[in-house]
Amino acid sequence: MNKKFDRFAGFAFLLVGILFLVESQKISDSAYGSSVGPKIFPMWLGIILIALSARLLYETFKYKSEESKKERLQYKKFLIIFVSAVLYAFFLEKIGYVVSTFLFLLIAFQTVERGKMVYSILISAAFSFGVYYMFSELLGGSLPGFPLL
Amino acid sequence: MDTLQFLADGFSVAFQWQNLLFALVGVIIGTAVGVLPGIGPMSGVALLIPVTATITSGMPTSAAAASSIILLAGVYYGAMYGGSTTSILLNTPGESSSVVTTLDGYQMAQQGRAGVALAISAIGSFCAGIVALIGLVLLAEPLSNVAVKFGPAEYFSLMLLGLAAVSGLAGKSMTKALIMTVLGLMLGTIGIDAVSGIARFTYDQPILYSGLEFLTVAVGLFALGEVFKTILEKDEETGAIAKIHRIMPTKQDLKDSAIPITRGSLLGFFIGVLPGAGATLASFFSYMTEKKFSKNPETFGKGNIAGVAGPESANNAASGGAMIPLLTLGIPGSGTTAILMGALIMYNIQPGPLLFDEHPEVAWGLIASMFIGNLMLLVLNMPLVRVFAKIIETPKKYLLPMIVAISFFGVYAVQYTTFDLFLLLGCGVLGYLLSKNDYPVAPLVLALVLGPMIENNMRRALTISNGDFSIFFTKPLSLVFIVAAAAWLLVPLLLKLRGRKVIINEEG
Repeated sequence: MNKKFDRFAGFAFLLVGILFLVESQKISDSAYGSSVGPKIFPMWLGIILIALSARLLYETFKYKSEESKKERLQYKKFLIIFVSAVLYAFFLEKIGYVVSTFLFLLIAFQTVERGKMVYSILISAAFSFGVYYMFSELLGGSLPGFPLL
Repeated sequence: MDTLQFLADGFSVAFQWQNLLFALVGVIIGTAVGVLPGIGPMSGVALLIPVTATITSGMPTSAAAASSIILLAGVYYGAMYGGSTTSILLNTPGESSSVVTTLDGYQMAQQGRAGVALAISAIGSFCAGIVALIGLVLLAEPLSNVAVKFGPAEYFSLMLLGLAAVSGLAGKSMTKALIMTVLGLMLGTIGIDAVSGIARFTYDQPILYSGLEFLTVAVGLFALGEVFKTILEKDEETGAIAKIHRIMPTKQDLKDSAIPITRGSLLGFFIGVLPGAGATLASFFSYMTEKKFSKNPETFGKGNIAGVAGPESANNAASGGAMIPLLTLGIPGSGTTAILMGALIMYNIQPGPLLFDEHPEVAWGLIASMFIGNLMLLVLNMPLVRVFAKIIETPKKYLLPMIVAISFFGVYAVQYTTFDLFLLLGCGVLGYLLSKNDYPVAPLVLALVLGPMIENNMRRALTISNGDFSIFFTKPLSLVFIVAAAAWLLVPLLLKLRGRKVIINEEG
């Protein structure tokens, strides 16, 4: 178990709980005569979460941190793929489904493992065109097409 | 009409050509999902919801719902089956429910009996599927008849029990599991309140008025979280795949596994019916039972066929049993059934006691299709074992980015907003971080699905009682559920205090 993460998460959840408790007080009371309005449930959730995160924080002081073997995480690969996924989401509606999917897949394939460029291009193209054609043409769904053309 | 008549109607739904096709596609994809390490039944089902939603978009709602749920359920029990393949051939369980299968299955493969192990797990899965089906047919009507009489107080307590059960068993720390449950309930309150029409936690963002889409959250937490994990953590080289020589089991093999299969099926079914206890727990229990009943327990772990037959039957039976609370009570007992329920709700079909009256073709069609699907699995898998074993070799290089692209497509095709794509990515990162640090994500998804229902029932009950909370304790059935819920949380805690090891369910 990772003590640092648990502490951080405990504080984060504590904040979320407090936020929920405070914000739920701003919800207006029910319009009709019922005594149980829309704020009761979120309010209690906030209180319970505060209690649970306090418990979690308390637990982090009790157990010994078993520092497991440091595994080397591949941050670089992950970041490249994550950023290209964010850009993919951002540009999807702007440059269309086929182009953005093709580019994303190509970059991601090459990031996970370099080489075999021809395969990567072929598979990316087949996937992006295939999904677009199947979905938009055959099934009558709607995807952003080719706005630039 | 009696049950048999309904079942016959169900078969006529399941035998429509498109539904046969859906079941076939479902079990094939399910087996592939089970075989591929990295995608579990939960992300498999979640990823396919948008695809089925589009394919069935031209059909009338009820028929569309029946067809989709047939496919999605096929993925669910197909994955249970496929999970055993990697356990036996590679010593790497494809699903958590097949972890115990590695103990004896891989040993059998080492002795050159990989084909037999695969075949016996196919046969066991089939028998278990049939047992689960019979149980479903017998229990569905009476249970939904009882459930019809439930008032809001009973429903509230019952759902509380469902959440308590899942949180009590999930993960290593109950505090963490409970935090995830509460977080899921909180996310469920975002949006317009269904009772009063007041916007909560939306901060004037129109995109939030309809609430966070559960599909986006589920796909992000499970599928993307899993992908990110595989990208970040370079996994160990996979070992050599065992060769498959002979597939047909001998008479002696069949004789040795007949009783374990029967026991595993029954045990698995009843464990599956219990909320929170899923296929993983069922397979563990079955393995322990077989070891206990065996005449020579020392052969377990050295390639005893009963150690494959029992657990494999149990996990399939459990996935069938898990359908019972979902269909009759409208309460999913696990992460995957929560996703199935989300799919039904997307079609405006509310699982629960009324399902059998209002949409009998969905309920009975699904039950009948499970029978057909299990038959298909048996027929497909005996000859195709070698083909499915090949899927293991799919290079990660192409698999991982493609899962991301499919999730994007799936979410965008249903939601049509880029907001959901960003939410998807955010949930992916969150899913990775949380599950890496032992925060189980299944309770979160379950709570997100159940949240609005819990709140509505609570408020309806409290409106009836004029705000008096004692209504949950004075109604006898409701009291029983609440006591059971409390017990579910307290008993593991007490056992832990006494230093006993508690089996946990990591599948959710």
